[in-house]
Amino acid sequence: MSLGLEHYLILSAILFSIGLYGALAKRNAVVVLMCIEIMLNAVNIAMVAFSRYLVPDVVVLTGHVFAIFIMTVAAAEAAVGLAIIITIYRNRHTVDIEQADLMQG
Amino acid sequence: MNFWLLSPELSLCGIALAVVLLDLVIEQKKVLAVISVFGLIIPIAFTIALWGEQQASFSGMLVVDNFSLFFKFLILGISALVIISSVDYVKKFARFQGEYYALILFSTGGLMLMCSTGELISIYIALELASISLYALVSFLKDPKSSEAGLKYMILGAISSAVLLLGMAFVFGITGSTHLDQIADKVSTLVSGGQLWDSPALLFGIVLMVAGFGFKIASVPFQMWVPDVYEGAPTPITAFLSVASKAAGFAVILRVFYTAFGIEAISADWGMIFAVLGAISMTLGNVVAIAQTNIKRMLGYSSIAHAGYIMVGLAAISTLGKSGVLFFLAGYALANLGAFIAIIAISNKTGSDEISDYSGMSRRSPVISFILAFCLISLIGIPPTVGFMAKFYIFNAAIQQDLLWLVIIAVLNSTISAYYYLRVVKVIYIGEPLSDEPIPSSIPMRVSLAITSIGVLVLGIYPWIVLRLAETAVVTFP
Amino acid sequence: MLPSTVLWVIFLLPLFSLAFISLVLRPFFNNYPKLSGYTIISCLAVALGLSIWVMTSSDQFPVESTIEWAVVGDFRISLGFVADNLTAIMLIVVTGISLMVQIYSQGYMHGDPGYHRYFAFMSLFTASMLGLVLASNLLLVYVFWEGVGLGSYLLIGFWFHKPSAAAAAKKAFIVTRFGDFGFLIAILILYFTTGTFNIAELNNLAMAGILGGTTLTLAALGIFSGAVGKSAQFPLHTWLPDAMEGPTPVSSLIHAATMVAAGVYLVARTLPMFASSEFAIMFVAVIGGVTAIFAASMGLVMNDIKRVLAYSTISQLGYMMLGLGTVGVAISQGYLTYEEGIGLGIAVGIFHLFTHAFFKCLLFLGAGSVSHASGTFDMRLMGGLRKYMPWTFLVFLAGALSLSGIWPLAGFWSKDMIVLHAWEHTPVLFWLAIITVFMTAFYMFRVIFMTFGGEYRGGEQGHGDHAHGEPHESPLVMVFPMAVLALMAIGCGWAIWGGGAAQFLGEAGYYGLHGAHWHAHGFFDVFTKVGEEPMPLIALAVALAGILLAYTMYSAKWISPERVGKVFAPLYTLFSRKYYLDELYEQVFVVRILQNGIFRLIELFDIYVVDGIVNGVANITVVGSSTLRRLQTGQLQSYGLAIVLGVLIIMVVLFIYR
Repeated sequence: MSLGLEHYLILSAILFSIGLYGALAKRNAVVVLMCIEIMLNAVNIAMVAFSRYLVPDVVVLTGHVFAIFIMTVAAAEAAVGLAIIITIYRNRHTVDIEQADLMQG
Repeated sequence: MNFWLLSPELSLCGIALAVVLLDLVIEQKKVLAVISVFGLIIPIAFTIALWGEQQASFSGMLVVDNFSLFFKFLILGISALVIISSVDYVKKFARFQGEYYALILFSTGGLMLMCSTGELISIYIALELASISLYALVSFLKDPKSSEAGLKYMILGAISSAVLLLGMAFVFGITGSTHLDQIADKVSTLVSGGQLWDSPALLFGIVLMVAGFGFKIASVPFQMWVPDVYEGAPTPITAFLSVASKAAGFAVILRVFYTAFGIEAISADWGMIFAVLGAISMTLGNVVAIAQTNIKRMLGYSSIAHAGYIMVGLAAISTLGKSGVLFFLAGYALANLGAFIAIIAISNKTGSDEISDYSGMSRRSPVISFILAFCLISLIGIPPTVGFMAKFYIFNAAIQQDLLWLVIIAVLNSTISAYYYLRVVKVIYIGEPLSDEPIPSSIPMRVSLAITSIGVLVLGIYPWIVLRLAETAVVTFP
Repeated sequence: MLPSTVLWVIFLLPLFSLAFISLVLRPFFNNYPKLSGYTIISCLAVALGLSIWVMTSSDQFPVESTIEWAVVGDFRISLGFVADNLTAIMLIVVTGISLMVQIYSQGYMHGDPGYHRYFAFMSLFTASMLGLVLASNLLLVYVFWEGVGLGSYLLIGFWFHKPSAAAAAKKAFIVTRFGDFGFLIAILILYFTTGTFNIAELNNLAMAGILGGTTLTLAALGIFSGAVGKSAQFPLHTWLPDAMEGPTPVSSLIHAATMVAAGVYLVARTLPMFASSEFAIMFVAVIGGVTAIFAASMGLVMNDIKRVLAYSTISQLGYMMLGLGTVGVAISQGYLTYEEGIGLGIAVGIFHLFTHAFFKCLLFLGAGSVSHASGTFDMRLMGGLRKYMPWTFLVFLAGALSLSGIWPLAGFWSKDMIVLHAWEHTPVLFWLAIITVFMTAFYMFRVIFMTFGGEYRGGEQGHGDHAHGEPHESPLVMVFPMAVLALMAIGCGWAIWGGGAAQFLGEAGYYGLHGAHWHAHGFFDVFTKVGEEPMPLIALAVALAGILLAYTMYSAKWISPERVGKVFAPLYTLFSRKYYLDELYEQVFVVRILQNGIFRLIELFDIYVVDGIVNGVANITVVGSSTLRRLQTGQLQSYGLAIVLGVLIIMVVLFIYR
């Protein structure tokens, strides 16, 4: 049995779902941030897989390039995200997302 | 590679870097604002000089045409007004004033690039450049509300960009390209049956992209972040978010959907998605705005409602609809900025954004109160303001596309919206003042208030100056 | 030669007054309140002079001045003012009455802290009203339509510290917006069918039959819904009585003479469109007739003098609608051609608007003068004021006689026209009209006798400045405008001699008036030609009967209103003629059963059901608002969930509707 596009896509879908579940269900902001990284990496897998299998026997690099950019941007996003989480921690001495409900309604 | 085409963005980034560097040596931080504002004249001049240009460069990643230049001009203007009106506000920050201006400029650069790309990767990067700068700006006050707003904006923004990326991955996977025009070629063969469900994967990709961009423009159901972030963010940043970020979001939607998915077979389908989302957005925004007590939050809901009105123009797939979106965004930018600048001026003095604290404001500051009331009236859409012309134009476009039901919903919504805007006007003019202290306004404040309010009035009486530009801008793409 | 710039100058004068008061006087001369009054009075005096010039240049009509304002492809908007006979009359009414009211206000608003604001709002209102009557296209009409609505809103809520005033202002604003919504839809329908906003062009299209069918009916009904809101016709009339919370001169100018007449003006202006749709014009006539009697019946039971006048206004506006409608019905059914009918309809409807403006304005000013003296609007606390305020009494009496339609005062001539044409074209509605004549005379003289007759009952106790034992006559600055208006209320109807006014009005909208259909009266024709045309005399008699009943009940106290059912016996001895007796018997029955029974029910229906529905819609929105905001939990993960669910729902919905 050889690995085909669908295997990668299924892997990507599973990873994306895990990440999404974590991002919506975990209470620790840092864990949420990590789950978002999982989502982005799921997209990366899909991108690269599409790029590899799109045209048989020809390597299309667009997906790879896209994936590299996503990784770069994700790193920047994580940096800003951690900085914001630190300000939250300084204000409330907790990084529990559920307690961040000062503004509602 | 034609760097001349990139000159507005390049010069803007240069100014931003200069501001960061000068921040190290300049003690008098006001100078940085002056440098930023006057520096913005350079990219604005480049933008004007480029008007009429129509070409793509950097292998299609940069598209310069009247459409993108219209938005660049709009966003640069918004950025300049926001910086001018920040001058007094930034006294709240103990440190990092230079970074504040620089981040606004970087974000402006990202938004400008968003309007000016014909390729998915660069759309994503530009969008993130704008967003990441804004995440930092939203939490700039570092107080509990601001940091909470930053957290919400950042996490939801990241989730929505993951969703957007998944959509882009699907579109790329189905069509084999990230260039919008090449996608368009492939799409027309994919949906040969004449409907979107011919290719469910493409449809899924499109819906995910709608979600990603819908987050930027604050459309239901991707709008939940709006009220909280608007309330918590520093007020000038709220103003920037509500107009610049929304304008760029619509620019991207217009370009992506008209270029990549513009073929007639499917345009009616996504038009209907926008029509329904628009109807829900304006209804939800207007109805919930009634119950608000914080004016920034109320304007947040109003911003959701306005996203709904603008989506009427998206749903009316025609030249009139496109130019209507452009004009509406320009008019909305003027009126909303005017309102926010007035709010900044008032909150600089009172330190409060509660509507009840605006009681009797007309006696403490007649001019600022009048401009606030005038801008709110424009947001309702009562003549002689630009809000009326914009709504009239965009509803007209929708009626010509047989979207009467949508226009009826929109007009009913305008009626509802009168209720909460006029409530503020009433409090300002009829309530008893809480103190006799007048509201001071510095010269930069007065300048920006004058620009916005005169713009609202002039475009309300003679909108054709901008409408002609908008019409020229949209003919440059199909 | 009448230059078209005159039209702009007339419109800009009050606008200048607004700018001058709010930008110069208010900031710099806040301690000299009189100045703002003088500003608006002088501006309006000039405007009145120019209006008279416009009117006397009627041979040059129509005078048009148009600016090509917008051209977007086939989308063209030109803004313009036009002066024709109809406009000329309206200009005189608006500037003339506004001028009188401003003079009066100098006395009435004396010492009010919001003096500048008051006159600034008044200027805004007058400018909008002038723009409304001058505008030559529907879009511009709509703009000023909202403008007068805004002015009305601001002025009703002028004493905003009174919660009732603030509530009334809000109610007026919201209720009229329901009508405005229909008007806007109608404008859009017309534009997208014909491609023009120009009223004259639309009228011509309707008469040529190019514009017709369901589209026209819908458009006409939409326009009428705007008129119903503004002119307080059933079922959107509820705001007008509440609007009496505003200062009395405001009620006088806006809610009696001018703004509420805007709806009638609009229907007159677009009469060819209405007359081309049988259903729409019949609807106008029926609503007019029903409103006339419905409002008059409520006027019978009110104790607040301003509320009586308010219901009277609604009723009279219904009359005007009936006048326009009944002639229009004749056109739509083919009894009259467009050439014969349109001018006639406008003449019948607008002539009553013209006379009504003067006497109803006068009555309101009189009511204001009375309350200025007694400190109250409650008639049960007044009485005997004739002794103390003879001038007010005289002018009020003139107004009341005119409103009741007593020969030879103005109201007689104009009301007569409506009754006559109703009899000719819509006999069923004629009966409503004639009963209303009776009721009108009755309630007006009930007011007269309760207010001015008998003994003084003390007025409002402990009411600030006005709590003095002896009521006194109002100052000259208030009496003078009332006297001028009284002269008009007596004499302005005589313009009809030889068909003069009718001829003038009939040419409005460029249609000739055919004498054959015009009941031109000589001064004494009502008596001398009674054989040919008995109707005027009948109407006069009905009105006199109403006065008589009021006299017997409220002045002579032959009939105690409270015990009116028990005093049948003296009635037999009082009236020798059996006919009168039977009629009176009937009317006592009406007073006993209807006034306290059915009319009270109508009033309750009005308060609880009609108001309830209107308020209910607003409440649902507010409840929806506080329910929906709970979705915004503040939990950012629930927001994220909304994004994901949103995507899924969109997919599912697309799948269902693919």
